[in-house]
Order: sequence, then C-alpha cells, then structure tokens
Amino acid sequence: MPVEVILPKVDMDMATGRISRWYVGEGATVKKGDLLFEIETDKAAMEIDAPASGTIRDISGKEGIDIPVGEAVAWIYAEGEATKPAKDAVADATPVQEVVPAAAAPVAAAPAALPELAPANPGKPSNGTRATPLARRLAAAAGLQLDAIAGSGPRGRVMRSDVETAIAAPAPAASVPAKPAPIVSRPSASSQPRPAPQRSAGAAPLNFAWLRQGEGRPIVLIHGFGADLNSWRPMLAAGPVDAPLLALDLPGHGGSPRQTPADLDAIACDVEATLAALDVGPALLVGHSFGGAVAATVAARGHADVRALALIAPAGLGPEINGAFLQGFVRAKSEASLTPWLRLLVADEAVLSKPFVNATLAQAADAELRAAQAEISDRFFADGTQTFDIRGLLAALRMPVRVIVGANDRIIPASQSLGLPGEVALHVFAATGHMPQVERREQVLKILLEMVRV
Amino acid sequence: MDQAVRELSYAQAIQEAMAIAMETDERVFLMGEDIGVYGGAFQVTGDLVERFGADRVIDTPISELGGAGVAVGAAVTGLRPIFEFQFSDFATLAMEQIVNQAAKMRYMLGGAVSVPVVMRFPAGSGTGAAAQHSQSLEAWLGHVPGLKVIQPATPYDAKGMLLAAVADPDPVMIFEHKLLYKTKGPVPEGYYTVPIGKAAIRREGRDLTIVATSIMVHKALEAAKTLEAEGIDVEVVDLRTIRPMDKETVIESVKKTSRLLCVYEGVKTLGVGAEVSAMIAESEAFDFLDAPIVRLGGAETPIPYNPDLEKATVPQVPDILAAARSLAMGGR
Repeated sequence: MPVEVILPKVDMDMATGRISRWYVGEGATVKKGDLLFEIETDKAAMEIDAPASGTIRDISGKEGIDIPVGEAVAWIYAEGEATKPAKDAVADATPVQEVVPAAAAPVAAAPAALPELAPANPGKPSNGTRATPLARRLAAAAGLQLDAIAGSGPRGRVMRSDVETAIAAPAPAASVPAKPAPIVSRPSASSQPRPAPQRSAGAAPLNFAWLRQGEGRPIVLIHGFGADLNSWRPMLAAGPVDAPLLALDLPGHGGSPRQTPADLDAIACDVEATLAALDVGPALLVGHSFGGAVAATVAARGHADVRALALIAPAGLGPEINGAFLQGFVRAKSEASLTPWLRLLVADEAVLSKPFVNATLAQAADAELRAAQAEISDRFFADGTQTFDIRGLLAALRMPVRVIVGANDRIIPASQSLGLPGEVALHVFAATGHMPQVERREQVLKILLEMVRV
Repeated sequence: MDQAVRELSYAQAIQEAMAIAMETDERVFLMGEDIGVYGGAFQVTGDLVERFGADRVIDTPISELGGAGVAVGAAVTGLRPIFEFQFSDFATLAMEQIVNQAAKMRYMLGGAVSVPVVMRFPAGSGTGAAAQHSQSLEAWLGHVPGLKVIQPATPYDAKGMLLAAVADPDPVMIFEHKLLYKTKGPVPEGYYTVPIGKAAIRREGRDLTIVATSIMVHKALEAAKTLEAEGIDVEVVDLRTIRPMDKETVIESVKKTSRLLCVYEGVKTLGVGAEVSAMIAESEAFDFLDAPIVRLGGAETPIPYNPDLEKATVPQVPDILAAARSLAMGGR
C-alpha cells in the first residue's frame, strides 16, 4: 500500500491549511524525513517531512489553496509498488470530470450526472479519525468535522468531552476565509470571542497582599469566584512556608476595582500588569476554580514569567458547573441563607469555621461588590455553564502543570479533570469537595512547596 | 401486604423458598444426591427431609444423567421437580436430558407438553475445589433456546426467583455461586416472586455501567464505593437472568453512562459478558459509547487448586477498579 501524505494539524484551532510551497515534485524520490512541503496557517509556517521513503505521486494538494486538515495531499509509493489507476487517484475536481467521461460508456445522461458524483470539497468524510461512536454522533448533529477536533482520549481518540468543547468554542478563525481578524492590542492565548476591552487606559493593577515574605521563587495565588485573597490564609496555617507568597484579588473581588472584565484575557492583562508593577520574577502561579482558568490563561499568554502552574479545582475543563450554587451564593445576604451554599463547597462541613463564614458574610454585605460578582457570574457562567475552555491552553504549555481536585466536588465535577494531556499531573483527594486547599490544606501546601522548590 | 423481613443467608433463603413451594403446591418435590439426611453438599436442603419426608425430598443415586432424566420425565407428567446438582460442573453429565430433552420437548411436540423442571447448580470458584468442581458453566446452558437460565445474587432474589422458577412452565436453570451461600441479606417471610428476565440496577451512577452477574455484583458494588471517592460514579446492573436477557435495562444504562464494563466469572471468551457486549454493540446504545467496551471474565484456563492462583483466574475487586479507572480515562 502506498503511504498517504496528509495535511497535518499543526495548531489547535486549525481546520484548514494552505501549502505555501512544495519542495519536491511529482515522481521525485524521497527518503523518510526529507522535506516535502511547507504549510501556512494564520499563526505559523511549518515544514513537513516525508512520513516514508519512496516515490511521490498523485500530488493533489496544490499550493495556495485551503485544504482541510487530514486530507491526502500526495502519496508515497514504495519501490516497485504499482501506482493506482488514474480514475482512483485522489485528485481535485477538475481532472475527475475530465477522466471519467472518457472512460464511461457514451450514455447521454451520464455526463450531466457526473458533477454530483465528484467529491464536494471540503466536505471530507471523517472516517479516518479515531473517535468514539458518541463523539461521532454528537459531532454529526452539531455539523462539526471530526478531523477538526483535537482528541484527548487514548491515541488521540475524539471523545464526547472534546466534541462538547468544540461545540462550546467559536468557529476557528481559519474557516473564515480572506477576512483578516481585527488587530487587538494584546496577544490572545485563548480561542474565546474577545470583545474589545472596555477600559480606555492600560490595565489597572489589582489589589494584592504579600501573605508571606521570604527568599526564593514566589508563589502567586489567584482565588476563585466570590472569594478574595484572604481565602488562602487557612492553607498557610497548615505549615511553615519559606517561599514568598503573593495573593491577588480578582477584578470585582476583594479590594480590586469593581468591574466586570470582558474575558479571561482581560483578567490576565490585569494580573500581568500587577505582577510587572511588583517586579515579580519567575513564579509558581496557583489558581483556584475560576482563578485556575485565569492562571492558565496567564501562563499560556507568556507575558508573565510563569515557571510552573498549579490549578486547584479549576474551571474551564468542561461545560458543567453548579449553577444553583453560583446564583444562591451571590444572592445570599444572611448567615442563614449563605451557610447552606457554603456547605456545598466542602465534603466535610466541619471545616466551615466561624471566621470563614463571617468573612464570606462580610463580603455579602457589600451590595456593590455582589452586584459586580453577579455580572461576572452571568458573563463567565451563563446559564450554569462554563463558557470558556482552558483545555487547549494546557495542551500547549511547556511548564510543569498540576491539577488538584477533590473527588466529591459538588461545584465542578471532578471527572472534568480526566482526559487532560498526559504531562499534566492530576491529584485527586478522596472525601474532599471544591476547596482542597482548605480541606486538605497540609497536602496541598506540600504540593505547592514541592513545585516551587524545583 | 405485611411481610416481616429477616436477615437470612442465601442458602436459608433457598431452603425457605423450597419449603414454601412444597407447602403451597403438592406437585413440588426435591431430588438430588445427598439432599436427604445429609442436607445437601452445601447444606441447602438442610432438614427439609424431616419436615416433608423422604417421598418429597428424594436422595438419588450418583448419576446426574439418571436423576435429571427422572426429573424431566416427572415434569412432563405434571409434577414440579426441583433437582439439585452437587456441583454445576456435573451438568456436563446430564447434558442430554437438559439440552436435548428438557429444552426441546415443548417445541418438538407442538406445545402439547411443557417441562416445568427446576435445576439448581452450585457454581463458581473460591472454595479450593479445583478444576472439576469450580467452573461457571452458565453460558453453556444460556446458549440453548428453550431453557431459562438465572443467577440470583442476593438472598432476596434467590428466594423470589426460585419461587418464580417453580411457577414457570419451562425448564429453569439456577446457578448459585457457592461463595454466596453464607452471605446474608433481607428476605421477607411468605410467598413472593422476583421476575425471571428482569435485571436490577443495584446502584445508580452516571460515569460508567458495570454489568455483573452473581458474586461479581458484590465485587462491582465494592469497587463502586472506592471509585465514588475518586469521583467516578458507577452504575451497577445485576443481570440476574442470562436467558432471556433483559436487554432494555442494559441498553438504557449504557445510553446514560456511555461506558460499559462487563464482569463475570465464567471464562471470558464466549461468556455471558461477551454476549452483553455484543448485544450493546449491535444496539441503539452503540452511538452512545464514549469508550471501547471492556470485559473482565475468567482466565482461559481450568480453575487451579492453588488458592492464590484460583483467585487470580477470576476477576477480583482490584481488577474491576483498574478496568473502571482506565475506562473513565477513555479506555484503551
């Protein structure tokens, strides 16, 4: 069998690509690893090597046209291997129409019917893609091409979660031909829709506190939705900390400006500006829940010097989140109405200390703060759904990444942390809810200190 | 109806079911080797011979073929025999009567007769009884149209399904795992039946379906508890009947969870789980699968005498845990 040369996927968001230049011609002899062609996406140009040794034939991927990812662009035949008859050759539509009428019997109706038989590019069948039956069905129902979806399962298998992620994400830029994306002032790491930032001036630094001073690489902590930088204090009580420890307040939280950021990139901008203003060098970035998604975005953007990333019960790994909790939490104004929601945060409610409840209650009394948070909740968790996705970001990171979750998380199901890239370490604590840093404070602190000492 | 519920062992529940069947229907009687004064190889019949007399609790000679033939003949002539094998392995000796006679007679005589015989088979490994006394041959009989084949997993089901079997007009084969005989569970007093052909969902879950039979139901439930703490929410389906199989319950469960693990003690190849997995692959649930189906069955070997090897040849809780974790990550 000849070896198929396909247009490879070189970018997470890539659905089509363009061959900018072939280095070899029809009939050329190539060795495995020789340069074949160069492809061009919105973001990069890349050289593609021969997957096998032999003779290049049936080059169908013409330079300069959009070709779906996974499409055969040429075949490599081994020495002495018979080439396929011309009518079976993978070719673009024009030669098919020329060849077939000549070979077909001279029936009058036949030529008129032929154009329908020709393959309608780019509707490439997805049969070659490894995918579960469920993923195939969901992708077909959503009108998505399987080969445009990155598979997170074993051997790159596309699974339900991948299709759901693809459905939640907007169409990749590559599928919008010719129209250049609007130029934005900051580089983007995520594939979310990014309305222009609402602030006119530069990023406003966030409220912060050095919870510990010390020597060495700092740990930067970003809290979750509805919390503030003080929410890290219980963890610090669990043991000695010798690393400097900086905690930030997210926009619309704690002492930070009461505003509703447009998207994760906007928050990441604020974090970056704050770290720059404080002259924070190489750091371990830690985020809890929504703050985890922020931390992953900061790490992926590459503006801050993030050397390692720890995500505690992170948001952005799947669509589901406890919408009732978000609504109830934001609305609650008394201890009586707040406590039932706080119980959902933990597996063992004994850890809900009086100071913890009181601190949360103090925030609830601030109507302006809660109003800002209600807006943030509506924007990022519309209809009880996580509208953003950090899986793609994690796959691209080149730093140590650890995900720490509680098996009994009732806010974001722990199962969303499954199927992450293999190099991402996953810590699952049994009998633990959404706040491992509180319920398993010693262990979580130990993990963070291990990461920062590397 | 108020029926007091007691804790009974699986063996006691079977004995009670047989006593009730004999009390309520004079056509019912028991046959088997050493079921009289000895009380049965696993003490299931116990003192029934004292309560019902040697005419209704009949010790047979050591000939499974002869005993099964008498039981089938008695059933055809209108009685309701319950025939006990000492070990399910000896079903092989009675295959002619079970497969060619009991299963075929109603069909070949155009419905003129039925064969309401019940046969009980102590089955499975774990007792150190070695290769000829430890097998799980339910799939052999499950392969034969005309038979009904059940594997109750709890004392409640053991009693209710045995009474349903006695009331059934067709031959019913009951495989009772030897290690279940001493397990206890709630059993109501008096007469009740549990339908043949209906699976039971023993635990609801959303991440993964384990379809298990007999003792494997308990191992699956134990594994599910551990997996729950790891954030994997397992649904455990107790198949209960392998012929006729309750396809609907299994299909609906797999449609919900998108992942299927079959756990059974019989040899993996051509076993009960092979049928369940093929059935799902052919069903509407196929389009709901989000990972390859996995089977955990007995090893392709006779059951060894060495106790460690004996354990190693059939699925154990750690095997179920490993398979379920792998499936939760997307499988192979």
